[in-house]
Amino acid sequence: MSTAAAVRPARLSLTDTARVGASGLSARPLRSLLSALGIAIGIAAVTSVLGISASSQAALIAQLDSLGTNLLQVQAGQTFGGSSSSLPLTAEPMLTRIAPVLVESSVATVAANAYRTHYVPAGETNGIQVKAAKTNLLEALAGTMSEGSFITSATENYPVVVLGSLAAERLGFDHWIPNATVDIGGQQYLVAGIMNSMPLAPDIDRSALMGYPQAMNGFGMSAAPTTVYVRTTPDQVDAVGSVLPATVNPANPNEVTVSQPSDALSARIAANDAFNSLFLGLGAVALLVGGVGIANVMVISVLERRSEIGLRRALGATKGNIRNQFLTESLLLAGAGGVAGVALGIVITLIYATTRNVQLVVPVSAVAGGIAISLLLGAIAGLYPAIRAARLSPTDALRSV
Amino acid sequence: MVASVQSDAPSDAVMELVGVRKTYPGPVEVLHGIDLTIGRGELLSIVGPSGSGKSTMLHLMGTLDLPTTGSVLINGVDVATLSDRQLSSFRARTLGFVFQQFYLIDGVSAVDNVANGLLYSGVSLPKRRSAAIAALTRVGLGHRLYSPPAKLSGGERQRVAIARALIARPAIVLADEPTGSLDTQTGQEVLALLRELNGDGTTVIVITHDPAVAEAMDRQVTIRDGLIVSDVARTLEVAR
Repeated sequence: MSTAAAVRPARLSLTDTARVGASGLSARPLRSLLSALGIAIGIAAVTSVLGISASSQAALIAQLDSLGTNLLQVQAGQTFGGSSSSLPLTAEPMLTRIAPVLVESSVATVAANAYRTHYVPAGETNGIQVKAAKTNLLEALAGTMSEGSFITSATENYPVVVLGSLAAERLGFDHWIPNATVDIGGQQYLVAGIMNSMPLAPDIDRSALMGYPQAMNGFGMSAAPTTVYVRTTPDQVDAVGSVLPATVNPANPNEVTVSQPSDALSARIAANDAFNSLFLGLGAVALLVGGVGIANVMVISVLERRSEIGLRRALGATKGNIRNQFLTESLLLAGAGGVAGVALGIVITLIYATTRNVQLVVPVSAVAGGIAISLLLGAIAGLYPAIRAARLSPTDALRSV
Repeated sequence: MVASVQSDAPSDAVMELVGVRKTYPGPVEVLHGIDLTIGRGELLSIVGPSGSGKSTMLHLMGTLDLPTTGSVLINGVDVATLSDRQLSSFRARTLGFVFQQFYLIDGVSAVDNVANGLLYSGVSLPKRRSAAIAALTRVGLGHRLYSPPAKLSGGERQRVAIARALIARPAIVLADEPTGSLDTQTGQEVLALLRELNGDGTTVIVITHDPAVAEAMDRQVTIRDGLIVSDVARTLEVAR
C-alpha cells in the first residue's frame, strides 16, 4: 500500500451521498414523514393560493375578454349648482355621428314599480327598477337571454317586459313561465323573457325593461335617455370618451358623466392580488415553522446517532462526508415535503377549479418556486446540525453509548 | 516491575508507539509513556483492567485521537503529520475496527452494512456489494445476506462487524472487546474467526479486560495504570 494513495481521501459520488442520506430517513419513517409534513403544508398553502388566484383571474380575464373593454357608459351628471341634470333629446342622434361608435343603445328610468301581482303592498318594491330600453340593448352590453326573448320592435309598443336576473329572482321566478305577468303601475305586463346576469351593467340585473313607446304612452315619460351605452372600435375608446360629453350635451358638457364599466372587473382582478399577499404571508409563516421543525429533528438526529457518526469516522469518513450526509438528509426531507406540498396545492386548486367551473391554472413559478424554497429551507435548517455532527471528535462519538 | 520478555517480532513493524503519553483535560494523564512495536502479521492482545488506559490505546492506534507527546507510526508514517482528511483516508484503507457494541446501522441489510466498510474508499456500489457478499460468506453468513441487524443474533452481528472490518483488506484490524457482548461459546467462535483472519496475514490487535481472551492470542501485552507491565509472546506455537 503506497502512502501517497493512502493520504488522498476518496470523494463520495452524488448517488452514494444521496443513498447515505436516504438511509438515515428510511430508518425512522414516521419521524421523517411528520417533519416533512410541516414543509408540505406550507408549500401546499402557497401553491394553492397562487393556483386559485391564477385560476380565478384567468376566469375574470376570460370574462373581460368576452365582454370587451370597449364599452362606454354615458349618464347625466350633476349641474354646477348640484341638482341632478338629464341628457338632452339630441344626445343619441349626435352620438351616432362619431365615426368609431359601433353600437349605441340606451335606457331611461320609468317612475313606476314592478310587483308580482297588484295584491303586493306598494312598499315592497324589492329594489326593482322599471326602465325603458331600446331593442338593441343586449347587443351593446354583450348580454344574453336566459329564457324567452328580449323586447322587439313588435313588442315595444305593448305592455311587455323582460326581467333582469336579480329582478326575476326577487319577483319569484326561478324560471320563465310563458304568459306569466307582473304588475306595473296597476297594469298587467306580460313577461317576455329573463336575461342572464350582465357583469358590465349590474343595474340592468335589478330592472324590469319595457319598450320606449310603451313607457312614453303608459307613463308619460319623455324620450330623453337616462343612460346611454356606446360600443366603440377597441383602439378608439379613449378618443371617443374624450369627445362624448361635448357631443352629448354641447351646452353643458360638464353635466355628463362618462365611465368605462369594464374598469370594475379590472379592479376585481387587482383586488384579488391584495388578498393573495395575506394568504401568502400565512403560507410563509407555515413554511418557517416547518423549517424550524426540520432543524429540530436534525439536531435530535445528530444527538441520537453519535455512535453512527463515530463508526463512520472509524470507517474513514471525513468531516466533509459527515456534514454532507446530514445536509443531504435535511435536503431530502425538505425536498420531499416540497414536492408533496406542490402536489397537494395542485389538488386543492383542481378542486376549486372544478367546483367553481373555471379553468385550472397553476403558475409554473409557483411549482418551481415552491420546490426551490423548500430546498433552501432544508439547506438552512440542516446546516447547523450538519456542522455540529462533522465537528464531533471520533473518540467522543464512540464513547457516548 | 514484572520482567518484560521482548518478543522476537518480525523486523517489518506495522505499528510503532514511541514514548506515547496522553493527557486529558483535568489534567489527567492516562498513558505515561508507552513504547510498543507490533510486527506485520502479529496476533496480539492488549489486556488490562478497566481504567488502565486500554481504550485510549485503541483510539491512538486507530488514529481516532493523537498522543499528547510521543508518536504513533503506522507503516512507518507518523500519524501526527497527517491532516484530518488524510487521517480519514488512512483509516479507510489501512485500519479495520471491530467494536463491542457492533455499531451496525439499523434498517440497513447485512450486505449494505458490510459494504459501508468500502464506502469511503471510493469503490463503486456494485463492487462494494459483491465484496460484501464475499466477506459475509467468508465469515459464515452467506445465508443471512439481506437480514437487517435486528433479526441477527449477537454472534451473527459481530460476524457482520468483522466482515465489515475485513472487506477493505486492511493491514491492521483493531478489535475492542469483540467478545464483550457475547456468551462464551459464541465468543470462542468470534476469536477463531479473528485467528483465521490473522492467518491470511492481517495484523490483529484485540483489546480486552478478559485474561481468557488474551490467553488465546499469540502475544499478550498487559497494561496497568497507563504503563506496559508485561509483554509475553507465546513460545509454544500451535501447529498451523
